[in-house]
Amino acid sequence: MIPVPSAHHVRALDSLYAASAAWGVPWPVVELVEMLVVVSIVIGFISVAAMFLIWWERKISAHIQARYGPMRVGGWHGWAQSIADGIKLLLKEDIIPRGADRVVFILAPMVVFASALAAYVALPFGPGLIVRDLNIGILYIIAISSLTVLGIIMAGWSSNNKYATLGAMRSAAQTISYEVPLVVSLLGPIILAGSLSMTKIVEAQRHLWFIVPQLVAFLTYFTCAVAETNRLPFDIPEAESELVAGFHVEYSGMRFAIFFLAEYANMFTVCAIATTMFLGGWAGPGPEVLAPFWFLGKTFFLLFVMLWLRWSLARVRVDQLMYLGWKVLLPIAFANLVVTGVAVLVV
Amino acid sequence: MATRVITRPPTADELMATRASETMEEMYVNMGPQHPSTHGVLRLLLKLDGEIVLDVWPYIGYLHRCHEKIGENREYIQIIPYTDRLDYLASMYNNFGYVHAVEKLAGVTPPERAEYMRVILGELQRIASHLIWLGTFGLDLGNFTIFMWCFREREMVLDLFEQVSGQRLNYSFFRIGGMPMDFPEGWIGDCKAFLEWFKPRLKEYDRLSTDNIIWQKRTQGVGVLTQEDARAYGVSGPMLRSTGIKWDLRRNDPYSIYDRFDFDIPVGERGDVWDRFWVRRREMEESIKIVEQGLRDIPPGPIMAKVPTAIKPPVGHLYSRVESPRGELGEYIVSDGSKRPYRYKVRSPAYVNLSAISAMLPGCLVADAVAVLGSIDIVLGEVDR
Amino acid sequence: MAEAAKAAHKPEAALPRMAESDGTPEAKAFLEALRAKAGDAILEARARGREVVAQVRPDRNVEVAQALYDMGLEYLNCLCGVDWIAQNQIEVVYNVSSLSHPVKVEMKVFLPRDDPRVRTVVPIWASANWHERETYDLFGVVFEEHPDLRRILLPEDWMGYPLRKDYEDERMPRFDAAEKKRRARLFSRDAEAPAEGEEK
Repeated sequence: MIPVPSAHHVRALDSLYAASAAWGVPWPVVELVEMLVVVSIVIGFISVAAMFLIWWERKISAHIQARYGPMRVGGWHGWAQSIADGIKLLLKEDIIPRGADRVVFILAPMVVFASALAAYVALPFGPGLIVRDLNIGILYIIAISSLTVLGIIMAGWSSNNKYATLGAMRSAAQTISYEVPLVVSLLGPIILAGSLSMTKIVEAQRHLWFIVPQLVAFLTYFTCAVAETNRLPFDIPEAESELVAGFHVEYSGMRFAIFFLAEYANMFTVCAIATTMFLGGWAGPGPEVLAPFWFLGKTFFLLFVMLWLRWSLARVRVDQLMYLGWKVLLPIAFANLVVTGVAVLVV
Repeated sequence: MATRVITRPPTADELMATRASETMEEMYVNMGPQHPSTHGVLRLLLKLDGEIVLDVWPYIGYLHRCHEKIGENREYIQIIPYTDRLDYLASMYNNFGYVHAVEKLAGVTPPERAEYMRVILGELQRIASHLIWLGTFGLDLGNFTIFMWCFREREMVLDLFEQVSGQRLNYSFFRIGGMPMDFPEGWIGDCKAFLEWFKPRLKEYDRLSTDNIIWQKRTQGVGVLTQEDARAYGVSGPMLRSTGIKWDLRRNDPYSIYDRFDFDIPVGERGDVWDRFWVRRREMEESIKIVEQGLRDIPPGPIMAKVPTAIKPPVGHLYSRVESPRGELGEYIVSDGSKRPYRYKVRSPAYVNLSAISAMLPGCLVADAVAVLGSIDIVLGEVDR
Repeated sequence: MAEAAKAAHKPEAALPRMAESDGTPEAKAFLEALRAKAGDAILEARARGREVVAQVRPDRNVEVAQALYDMGLEYLNCLCGVDWIAQNQIEVVYNVSSLSHPVKVEMKVFLPRDDPRVRTVVPIWASANWHERETYDLFGVVFEEHPDLRRILLPEDWMGYPLRKDYEDERMPRFDAAEKKRRARLFSRDAEAPAEGEEK
């Protein structure tokens, strides 16, 4: 039972615009206010989600490792641990290494976070619960999240640290390498849906979730997603026990917190995309008001799988990682694309 | 014959020359002495050509504590606590090696029950040592969970040792001529319970390690040590057995009562990191067997022979060796008839195994350096003494 | 000095030795074969259990080492030094064995203490590399033709050879007569316990 977005959700603020016109307030101001409110909501959501994810990760990793994880902060199973960590990071001294390029150093985390944030514009949380239903939705998301690489390179380069630069290069190489099979694997559901718009893709899965005909694409996509977000088993850029430190080694305090937040925001984004493209988005039994919970539930299930993978697997070596991305995942994604295309043509 | 030319590390001029050069092709990179992996303070100077390691020079001695010189100024029994601190992750076996050497030199035979106690504790120590190795090796490869699981089991072994000796780590539990105390009441039952708990755990570890393709790909074919190199470099222990040479001092040069026990000697095939992992993993199973047989057969009786506390071995010299979890632990003791050894030399297995890194690492990728180093299983306390 | 020179060739008489015990037949046969090969390079040798203990002329150590290698002892267990300060000599002990033979060999060379030099056996057993470096580090024995003779356990710029019996260092505690007496009392078992109330 998929709720069709009803007309009254779209431009529900028409009445607000009418009222503001009556009061003599120019419409760009209203537009601006609306945007600010929406951005605040989204940032608020990301913060809460990221904090929850951090706590959840610690609990899951703990239980996998036969221990408890946070238990005290806030009382029940240490639920306020993330809040405490956030406050601690806020209170830390802001250190900018001497010899670092100040402007770039300060901008880098902002670029990373901004691109992570911008992807939330086109994520469909529910029928009509989408900031902008762009008709190029998924293309926009992929394009905008690629800007993260720029931020990473800025961070590594501006740190004035040989190892940070090398780490940034590694991370950039990894991210770019895995973008290609990621995008190609997403082309499968796009062909089936016949549209790039996120809401239309969700609608197209009314009868059958795309994971069934596109299982190969889903697995490829998910593997690439794990690599994109620099999670184990693909977390070489962040590995501490390897020779080269990560790109964010010189960052501390709030700046580091922003990188951290951006990473978890990215994780949420890629899982949300997977939910939309393969798991039917907000679809689920029950009344329309439950739709966002279905969406979040599926997304968090995929996040759980990501966390599970991190704590079970070893790290893939750099050359093996490149081999996997280019020589294994890319041909598989292409093959899937070809088969999907032919099938759509024939059937 | 030596199979590889031994090279000198770069001089200061050579180092400056590479730093000044425009290309980054050949460069010297330091690994350590502060190292995130839990191997201790070790410095490896690597010569790299891009990603490939051309040469490696280990720098040790950061943990040198003058063990041998101290030994010359202590009575034989007073040296026992110092031996704990050599390979602090396998203290029981260090004690065993030392006490065994002094007993051979002095012509003392410990009673049966003491011998059984030694074997049981020694093999439990082997299990604990291999567990730490497996956990930290997994950590090097990026798998945090196996580290936690291995340490959980190791805690149980440490609990058993604490019941026996009062200590969790540096036990000083062996004496020249036997053992100081008997097993406390109920210990044998606790030990059996631990073994029953532990056997299925190895299968659990397999799911994270042996059966996992990422683990296999990171370890197979990496850091190969040929048989020829192994013999030339004096490598011993699981590292030697991983190359395919079936040499275990417990079988080939038996000491104590090991010839009464029935156990296999796992052997590798290619001498790569995978084989070293596999040999140690299988050795844990074999140690379980030995402990079970020991618990089954241990006779009642005295645990200490009649020896003076200030033992004075007759004039002479002796090289005695035991198979510690890391390899051949040798003790060369020269006695001049007094209460203190004239010369006390410890041939530590990790020291010699580490020297073989210059045969294993060149040709590998930098990313493998950590895996290869981890697979040697060094403890800096033993390397540096 | 003449005495020392004489002693250099027959120091076993002056130095401690373990009570004689017979060797196994394999060890005895091995010893005979070794004597046949190495001839007069061996000053004194005997079989002891499964082991053959041989004292070798310092200038011929490589020749004997090569002979041992050719006879199947490809595995060097240990190489260390012993400082016989009373006899003014430093002994270098080579413990060699085989992974397929039951026989072990302990080869010894005695070097003059003021200039201990001996040729390296690294071309024969690669594991001698680190062992010889350590002996150089702690005793000052110079191994000629060693490819990389530098200190291994101590910092590169350390002065002195700590494992020598006469090694002194300004950081070592100085014991006056009273302290020596106190320590002798504390560390010795057969001395009497201090009387009640007496300061330890």
